[in-house]
Amino acid sequence: MSQPSAPSEVRTGGAPGRAARPGRSRHPLARFLLRRLAIAVLLAFGITLVTFVLTNLVPGDPVTANLGQNALGDPALVAQWRADHGLDKPLPQQYLTYLGGLLQGDLGVSQQSHRPVLTDLAEFVPSTIELAGSAILVSLVVGVAFGVVAALRRDRPSDQALRVLSLIGISVPTFWLALVAFYVFFFRLQITPGSGRINPDMSAPPAVTGLFTVDAALAGQWDVFASAAGHLITPALVLAAYTIGLLTRFTRSAVLEVLGQDYVRAARAKGLPGRVILFRYVLRSALVPIITVAGLAFGSLLSGTVLVESVFARPGIGQYAYKSATTLDLPAVMGVGLVVGCVYVVINLVVDVLYGVIDPRVRLS
Amino acid sequence: MATRMRRRPARQAKAALLPVLLAGALSLAACSGGGTSTTPAQSAGGTASKTLVMDASFTLKTADPGRNYEPTGLIIGKALYDTLLTFEGSDVTKPVPSLAESYEQSSDGKTLTLKLRQGATFSDGSPVTADDVVFSLNRVRDLKGNPSFLLDGVKVAKTDDTTVTLTSETPKPALPFILPNPALGILNSKTVKANGGAEDTSDKAEQYLNGASAGSGPYTLESFNAQSQVVLKANPKYWGQKKPTYGKVVLRNVESATQKLNVQRGDSQVALDLSGDQIKTVSGSQQTTKTASANMVFLLANQDTAVSRTSSNPKIVEAVRKGIDYQGLLELAGEGSVQAPGVIPTMLLGALPPDQAVKRDVEAAKAAVAASGVGNPTLKLEYPSDLTLQGLSFQPFAERIQANLKEVGITVDLAPAPVATALENYRKGKEELGLWYWGPDYPDPTDYLVFLPGNTVGLRSGWKKGADKALEELGDKAAVTIGDDARKQLYTDIQTKLNATGPFVPLIQPSQNIVTAASVTGLAFHPVWTVDVAALGAK
Repeated sequence: MSQPSAPSEVRTGGAPGRAARPGRSRHPLARFLLRRLAIAVLLAFGITLVTFVLTNLVPGDPVTANLGQNALGDPALVAQWRADHGLDKPLPQQYLTYLGGLLQGDLGVSQQSHRPVLTDLAEFVPSTIELAGSAILVSLVVGVAFGVVAALRRDRPSDQALRVLSLIGISVPTFWLALVAFYVFFFRLQITPGSGRINPDMSAPPAVTGLFTVDAALAGQWDVFASAAGHLITPALVLAAYTIGLLTRFTRSAVLEVLGQDYVRAARAKGLPGRVILFRYVLRSALVPIITVAGLAFGSLLSGTVLVESVFARPGIGQYAYKSATTLDLPAVMGVGLVVGCVYVVINLVVDVLYGVIDPRVRLS
Repeated sequence: MATRMRRRPARQAKAALLPVLLAGALSLAACSGGGTSTTPAQSAGGTASKTLVMDASFTLKTADPGRNYEPTGLIIGKALYDTLLTFEGSDVTKPVPSLAESYEQSSDGKTLTLKLRQGATFSDGSPVTADDVVFSLNRVRDLKGNPSFLLDGVKVAKTDDTTVTLTSETPKPALPFILPNPALGILNSKTVKANGGAEDTSDKAEQYLNGASAGSGPYTLESFNAQSQVVLKANPKYWGQKKPTYGKVVLRNVESATQKLNVQRGDSQVALDLSGDQIKTVSGSQQTTKTASANMVFLLANQDTAVSRTSSNPKIVEAVRKGIDYQGLLELAGEGSVQAPGVIPTMLLGALPPDQAVKRDVEAAKAAVAASGVGNPTLKLEYPSDLTLQGLSFQPFAERIQANLKEVGITVDLAPAPVATALENYRKGKEELGLWYWGPDYPDPTDYLVFLPGNTVGLRSGWKKGADKALEELGDKAAVTIGDDARKQLYTDIQTKLNATGPFVPLIQPSQNIVTAASVTGLAFHPVWTVDVAALGAK
């Protein structure tokens, strides 16, 4: 198939002959997906440009930050270091080199660890994904459940209690909550383990995904799994507190709004059981705003990991970003920027796709 | 519709499963919680092998000794790499043999001859040779890393298979005190060269040395992560007489607030960075070591009349020196801190005895102000406001000094600034009155000659060369004198003179607080490497 035919196929909604097939209804979704993917790729490109420009605008000289005092007095050595790290070239050329490397999966070498940034990220990102992923999972389950309960029991004491709880979740600073949770659950009640990702006397499970819980389960090391899961609970709950609060409030109002719609009243009048009405009519309609909020919340969750990782001494992308920024390790900073930016892009993509799946009208618009 | 009907129970089942999973995870957490990090296990040698967990606020960049000059890095370097000479326990007044069994310094102080010990081996079993020593020291000096200055101007040569000679153009009496620095650890030259090592700036071995160690120390590197955690494993082929007690040492990067809870709960056995306030509420079975650190906090009064006519007036300096309530400052600094009797910290060779420290004399201070001829003297005190030293902030000290000097008739205007900004004025010698500290680069009094006229800190206080010829001559002599007794006398004289007429007012040495579990024995704070991990034992 020649290349130009692919886009035209998308534009026209299908090649001749296909349109007649019964699966035609899928095409708007495929088209929608492709368009979103194209936008995502463009965004990722934009992110590389923004991170590169911003990183290079930062005042401060990476040479001073990385070479010893002795070396700074040696101009030849400084020049050599600049040349080695490509800093002697004009900025546009540096960007093109960076982009060229990026396309081949090369994010440069960290000036601090002297390892490829990709290797560093591969080490740190899974820990953060494990933490933020568990937090979002907990938030979705708990937040939506709380919201539904609050809506169904509107203005009753349980609703009031949940509203207060959600307000607390939203307003309490994450680092403070982390310290308090650490103190209460680890120190006072002694039901959760301490700092890090696993007990210090254990070795990390053989790396497959980098997620200790998954890797330990894959390797059948159940004691390591228990330790990794245990070390995850408090930080994940702390991180989830804000999102739970947010989702409770949004789910509550979304469900209340749907409950007032004519078709729900009609369904009730028809005598459908409450559970059917809730799951098939109410929740399905309420999901769109909930997903929007969850997507946005995931972003704030990522920034929250910096502090939570610090309190619970979990090696993650937050600590890596902090250390890289304070030492002007430009390739590492750009790597982190790129990863975080791309995570946002992926979240947006997923949210958009979920809209399309849940609400067919979105695909057509 | 039919498909939906089938799907629903599955969804419900999943929804029902989640709380179960969460509850399961929680109970697992409860099981895995607790500080059972000392797990008895049998090692090959038949002795109990234990894990030691240490929490520190990391100042760590690398595990490569040639580039390592951060406090946390030195703890690791000490465990991984043996040096030619070392110090016994906390005593830094006398270098003792390590990889070199003896040393001899020439009478002119320009040559140091070291006899190498036979039978010492690297962790791969190969012997430590004179070639390894020459390679390692040359590499540190010439790859231009942070510790390179330690060997500035020192030539390293192999005399024969068991002798190494260090020579310098100018006398270097401090060299035996410099050699124990973990940055000068001896590397397995074959391994390091095979992994990009070189004796110049083309050296590329750091990446290798951050993944594996190539030393002869009691420990080897199991894993290294400059941001989060370093794991050391006992070296099974360690040549030394005393084998390490702990089979594994985990050094974690932990905030100080969390450090305290961890050690109290038993999740870690050592917490290195607790402040005096935090230590007050540590209770129970933990042991607390409070030792004066080698950091000396001091005031400098600028002697440059272009900067200030007030601070350069000798009578004003005298009034400041006699007007400060040193006991009050010690109360602020907390238990374990001591008054600095001179610029040289108490644990170093040549330190003044505590009874020679300056005492407060308000009347004499008032008289000095009157004799200065300055009406209503006012001084601007600059200091770093965002810097903490052993958990102490400079702000309360500055306020206390302000209150003390008000009593003797000197008005002090406080001028705090972020350390980056404050440092600039300090380094350029523009501060009228400055509050700073000096930590030793190596535990030898020569490192304190920087306080004399024309030298680094002297210049920062506007004290140019020629400002005090007698003192400078004394300094020149001390720099080249060999022999502990003679040096001790010279440095005592220098500090006595400095305390009488110099522009510096040594204040205090804050306390280094280390909390350990009751089971840990043998902890001794060391001014260079903080803790010798291999010296720690277990009850």
